[in-house]
Amino acid sequence: MTAEQQQMSEYVAHLIRKPDITIDENTRLVSSGLIDSMALVDLLVKLEDLTGLRISPGKVQPKDMDTVALMFATAQRVGKPRK
Amino acid sequence: MIAAAPRTLTDALNAAPATREFITAWNDEDDCETVTFGEFRRRARVQAALLRKHGAAAGDRIVIIMPQGIPAMTVFAGAMMLGAVPAFLAYPNFKVEPSKYRSGLGGVTANLSARLVVIDAQFPDEMLGHVALGKSTQLLRASNDVSGGEEKTLDPAIGPDRLAFLQHSAGTTGLQKGVALTHAVVLRQIEHLTQALHIDGSRDRVYSWLPLYHDMGLIACFMLPLACHVPVVMQSPLNWVMQPESMLQVITRYRCTLAWLPNFTFQFVPRRTPEERWSQYDLSSVRALINCSEPVRAASMDEFDRAFAPIGLKREALQSSYAMAENVFAVTQSGINGRTGPARVWADGARFRSEHIIAQVAEGTSGAISFMSSGQPLSGNEVRIVSDAGERLPQGSVGEIHIKSDSLFSGYYNRSDLTAQAMVDGWFCSGDLGFLLDDELYVVGRKNDLIIVGGENIYPQDIEEAAAAHAAIHDGRAVAMGLYNPDTGTEEVVLVAEVESEELLQNAEEVESDIRAFVVESAGVAVRSIFLKPPKWIVKSTAGKPARSSTREKLLREHPELQERVGRDG
Repeated sequence: MTAEQQQMSEYVAHLIRKPDITIDENTRLVSSGLIDSMALVDLLVKLEDLTGLRISPGKVQPKDMDTVALMFATAQRVGKPRK
Repeated sequence: MIAAAPRTLTDALNAAPATREFITAWNDEDDCETVTFGEFRRRARVQAALLRKHGAAAGDRIVIIMPQGIPAMTVFAGAMMLGAVPAFLAYPNFKVEPSKYRSGLGGVTANLSARLVVIDAQFPDEMLGHVALGKSTQLLRASNDVSGGEEKTLDPAIGPDRLAFLQHSAGTTGLQKGVALTHAVVLRQIEHLTQALHIDGSRDRVYSWLPLYHDMGLIACFMLPLACHVPVVMQSPLNWVMQPESMLQVITRYRCTLAWLPNFTFQFVPRRTPEERWSQYDLSSVRALINCSEPVRAASMDEFDRAFAPIGLKREALQSSYAMAENVFAVTQSGINGRTGPARVWADGARFRSEHIIAQVAEGTSGAISFMSSGQPLSGNEVRIVSDAGERLPQGSVGEIHIKSDSLFSGYYNRSDLTAQAMVDGWFCSGDLGFLLDDELYVVGRKNDLIIVGGENIYPQDIEEAAAAHAAIHDGRAVAMGLYNPDTGTEEVVLVAEVESEELLQNAEEVESDIRAFVVESAGVAVRSIFLKPPKWIVKSTAGKPARSSTREKLLREHPELQERVGRDG
C-alpha cells in the first residue's frame, strides 16, 4: 500500500470504531457491511484531502468506494485538480 | 390549490400550465436538467405509447425499476395515462446478491401479476438472470428516445375510484405489501395537505432528495407537485448522502420553499457541511422543512435551527408530520389550526417507562425526557390511541396509534389477509406507539419492532433470516433491533445471535464478518454492531420464538454502553 492508502485504511478503522481491524487495499468495505452509505461523505472528503483532487460526488457510485484501492482509482478517474 | 377539482391525477397533470418548470433533476452544478410541465407531459405520452405497444392497458400493473430521475417519472406518469397501475421498486443495490434480488422481484411481480417490468438501458444483467417473472409478465427496457409524443390526450375515461398506483416498502417483508391507492384518495390527501400548507404552484418550489419508491418521495415530491403544479428540484438519495451540503446549495440556488425530510437530515447536514461554508448559503426562501418518517427529535431540530438561523432560516419553518403510505401520506401536520409549530413537552422519564403515561414536569427536571409533536390531524383525518386490550386511551396515555380518514388505502394488493390484520372497525392500526396531548400527536416508538434508518423502513425479520443462515448460528435464534444513535440522529441496526455451541465464540470475529456480509447481500443493510451469545441466551416467548423486546432489554442490561443509545433527548 502507498502511504496515502495506509492513511485511508487507518481512517476507515477509526470511522467504524474498530481500531484493531486489518484493512488492506482490497478489503471490501461497503459490500461487506463494514461501511454504510452515511459514511461515504466522510470517505470522499478524506480522499480529496489525501489526493489533493476535487471529486464530484455526482460521478461516484458506492461500488467505486468499496475498497481502498478502488477509492484511489476512482479519484484518478474522476478527480480534477483544485482551482 | 388544485385547479378545478380534477377527477384523476392524469386530469391534474393535463391541466398544468405548459411553460411552468416542473422537475429539475440535479446531479451536480454542471449536470442538471429541467423539464416544464408541457415537456414532461410530452415525454410521458411517448412512454405511454411504448407501454401500450407492449400490451399494457387500463388496470394492468406495471413495475418500474429505474434510477431516480425524469425518465422513471415519465414512465410512471405514462402508465397512469393509460389507466394502468404503476409501482416504483428500489433500483438494485450493488451490495445485494443477485439471486436474492431475483427472488424478491419474482415474488412481487407474481403477487401483482404485473403485465410489464420496465427497466433502464443500464440495468445490470446479473440482477435479472433467469428471473421467474410469471407467464403474463414481460420485461421492457425503457427507451431513451423521447422524440414524438403529440400534445393530445390519450387517456381512457378512467374513474376516480380506479387504482392510481401501488406503493411498496423495501425488503422481503415490505415487498409483500403493495399499498393500493385510488386516484380519489390520493387527490383528497393532496387537497388536505395543500390547504394545511397553503401550497401555491405559482410561488412554491419543493426541494427533495427522497426516494420515489417511498411514500414521502412519491407523494410529497412527485404526486403533490404534479397535482398542484409546483416545481420540484430533486436529487437522488445517494447523490445527496454523498454530499449533504448540496441540500443547502440547491435550496439557495433555486429559492426552494418546501421540503420533507427524515429526522437525521437535521443533524447530518450541519455536521457534514464545514462551518466556514455555511455563510455562502441562504435559507430565507424556505417556508417549511417538515420532519417526517422517523420519530421527531427536538435536539435534531434545535441543532439545525442554531446552525442556520444566521443564514435566514426561520424557526417557524421547522415543522413536523406523521405520515404513512396506507393513508397515502400525511395523517398529521404541525403549525396548522393557528398553532405555530410542533409542540414540545417534558415528562417524568420513570413514569413514562413504567406506567406508559405522560406526567408533565418542568423543563430541565432531573430524569425528564422531552418529546416533540408531529402536529394535529389534517382535515378528514382522525387519530385514536388504543391499549393492547383494544380500549381507547385518554390524552397523555401511550398506546398504539390508529387512524381513520377519507384517504385510507384500498388494501394491500392481492393480500386481503394482511389487510384484514391491519384494520379494526374501519380504523387502520399503524403499529406505531404514541400519545395525544392537547390534541397534538406525539410518536414515541413502534409496537411491531420495525427499524427505521434514515427514514427507510427495515423489517427485523429480513435481517434475522439472513443472519440465521450462517452455519454457526442456531436456527431462528437471532434478533435484530434499531438503537437510536444521538450522534447521527437516526437508528442503527444492532443484531444479537446465538451460536450453536460455546466454542464457536472463539471465532467470533470471523463469524461476525460473515454475518455482516450475509445481511448486506440479502437485505442490503449494514449492521452496526453484532453481539454473539452462547446457546440459550436469547429470551424466548411462550410460543418458543425469540421475544424481541425482552431480548433487547437483556442486551441493554448486559451492555450498559448501549443504554445511552436508547435515551431520548433531554
